[in-house]
Amino acid sequence: MRRMPEPILEVRDLTVHFYTYAGIVKAIERVSFDVYKGETFALVGETGCGKSVTSRALTQLIESPGRIVGGKVIYHSDKGPIDLLKLREEEIREIRGKEIAYIFQDPHASLDPLYQVGYQIAEAMVVHNTVKDLKEGLQRALSILKRVLIPDPESRIKNYPHEMSGGMKQRVVIGTGLTNNPKVLIADEPTTALDVTVQAQILDLMNKLKRDYNTTLILITHNMGVVAEMADRIAVMYAGKIAEIGTAEQIFKNPLHPYTQGLLKAVPNPMKRIERLDAIPGTVPNLITPPSGCRFHPRCPFAKDICKQKVPELKEIEDGHFVACHLY
Amino acid sequence: MIKLAELKKFLIRRILTFLPTLIGVTLIVFIIAYVIPADPARAWAGGEKASQEAIARIKAQYHLDKPWYDQYWFLVSGLAKNTLIDPRTSNPVMDDVGKRFPKTFELALVAFFFVILIGVPLGILSALKRNTWVDTIIRFFALIGVSTPVFWLGYILIFVFFVKFRLINLAGFPAYPSHQITHIPMIDALLTGEFTIFKQHIGRLWLPGFVLGFQGAGVIARFVRNSFLEALSSDYIEFLKAKGVPKLKVYRHALKNALVPIITVLGLQFGGLLAGAPITETVFGIPGMGRYAIQAIQNLDFPAVVAVTFIFALVYVTANLVVDILYAVIDPRVRY
Repeated sequence: MRRMPEPILEVRDLTVHFYTYAGIVKAIERVSFDVYKGETFALVGETGCGKSVTSRALTQLIESPGRIVGGKVIYHSDKGPIDLLKLREEEIREIRGKEIAYIFQDPHASLDPLYQVGYQIAEAMVVHNTVKDLKEGLQRALSILKRVLIPDPESRIKNYPHEMSGGMKQRVVIGTGLTNNPKVLIADEPTTALDVTVQAQILDLMNKLKRDYNTTLILITHNMGVVAEMADRIAVMYAGKIAEIGTAEQIFKNPLHPYTQGLLKAVPNPMKRIERLDAIPGTVPNLITPPSGCRFHPRCPFAKDICKQKVPELKEIEDGHFVACHLY
Repeated sequence: MIKLAELKKFLIRRILTFLPTLIGVTLIVFIIAYVIPADPARAWAGGEKASQEAIARIKAQYHLDKPWYDQYWFLVSGLAKNTLIDPRTSNPVMDDVGKRFPKTFELALVAFFFVILIGVPLGILSALKRNTWVDTIIRFFALIGVSTPVFWLGYILIFVFFVKFRLINLAGFPAYPSHQITHIPMIDALLTGEFTIFKQHIGRLWLPGFVLGFQGAGVIARFVRNSFLEALSSDYIEFLKAKGVPKLKVYRHALKNALVPIITVLGLQFGGLLAGAPITETVFGIPGMGRYAIQAIQNLDFPAVVAVTFIFALVYVTANLVVDILYAVIDPRVRY
């Protein structure tokens, strides 16, 4: 696999807390990773591990009671590097949807039910002034519907979301994400809410568009099959921390972190035959009072004393393969 | 959007459903009046001192000696043809009602205006500033609004604006404009350009309208706050933000989505305003239909009571019909 050494995003020590009545939820804690230009970078982990929060925090899309407590997100734009977390509201708004665009999980809920889909695609261009008016936006929306392979786009453009199927809506959402030729596309579980047959179509479409537009793709998913099919590099998250980062091959063939190993044993491994599936014992920890030291130690078969006391740092074990574990 | 042919079919169907509603409402009121152990014929003939012949004549005239269904039919058909004479005023019942209804409707319109003007902005503000002191104050105000009795607020404001400052008057009703178009004087005055008359009507009705609408404003403020907040927490709002849509435009999307439940409640509120009119009209001395209804009840004037009920029910169902049509205008998922 070719390494792309030029980073487009450098995330450093990103920390997000949610201030709830029950206490402070430490949703993600000192998360660091790089995303390289043109690659597909997968953020993997089980529900509630902070993958979505991480992806949203990149452009300050965190709503009250959540708050970005610390960290840096360096974005290498055409005009030079900028820290996205330092931008004011209006400045980050201009980046959102134009340079860094999103696709969300549930296409049934992502579109405003009261507006025609054509208008909603055009709106993404109008608010960034990439078209001169709504009329031109609607014309462009038509060509976008063609690009995302929606049949009969001339009449579909006037459809309301409820008149479309889930797969069709997700195509519209993907089209909306790509309207302004974003440098980075963040897809948060783009196929989870869809039928299995439609999932494959949507993934094919995303792969194709990614090549056509030369976009960097950040893919958030818990589906290892999707990861194997799409990802160049993978970051595994557990309980708000990065456990392991490596190329797809490194993660699937040589998982280092006990959590990654457990995760791969719990689902059919697309790159290695395994005889039976094993569950990881225990449950996801409460993030108001997370376990001391390594957050995985209560469930880890190899836990030692040091795991309870010291938070493990990410260490580079082989070229490009990082792991946060005291075993190494 | 709604297609005209569909709308026409829907309207016909809905208006047909009006009939059972109206028959049901008048029938229930009639039956309550019928089973009340009172002697309306004696009351109409002049009370204790009434002569036997007069009572017998009235009984025959109003079919009071016939079975209940005959009485009901006599009452309803008489109202429909406007041949039923009110035993108290000696006018046709619908003439009396027709004279008073525009005043009450005007009052309800002014009150409705206050409901929207106060309730909606406060609700939006409260949602946007949620969990701050602004929100707390507005929610407290809404609670006060919901729980303040109309007559109490009415007398307090009369004390302030009439007794202390002499800013309002409490008797009579301003003249009507020269041309009757909609038969609602305020609207007619605007249509014919007689602005002094319009001003007189506003001058007479702004305070009673405020009092009548105060409670509704509290309800609406709470309701707008909650449905606006609910809309703001939807996934499509997050996707709009992720698209880079500016704040104000995001709010516009949320507000339009919040509008469907808000309009439902507003429609019910309008009917509720009519129900509150008797107290307000009595407190402020407005010769409207609410006061007329109270006098009718006091005098066992059942034809008038049934007539008033019929009109109120008609306004209620019409308000709901308007709400249903507005649904379809706002929400493309609504089909008929």
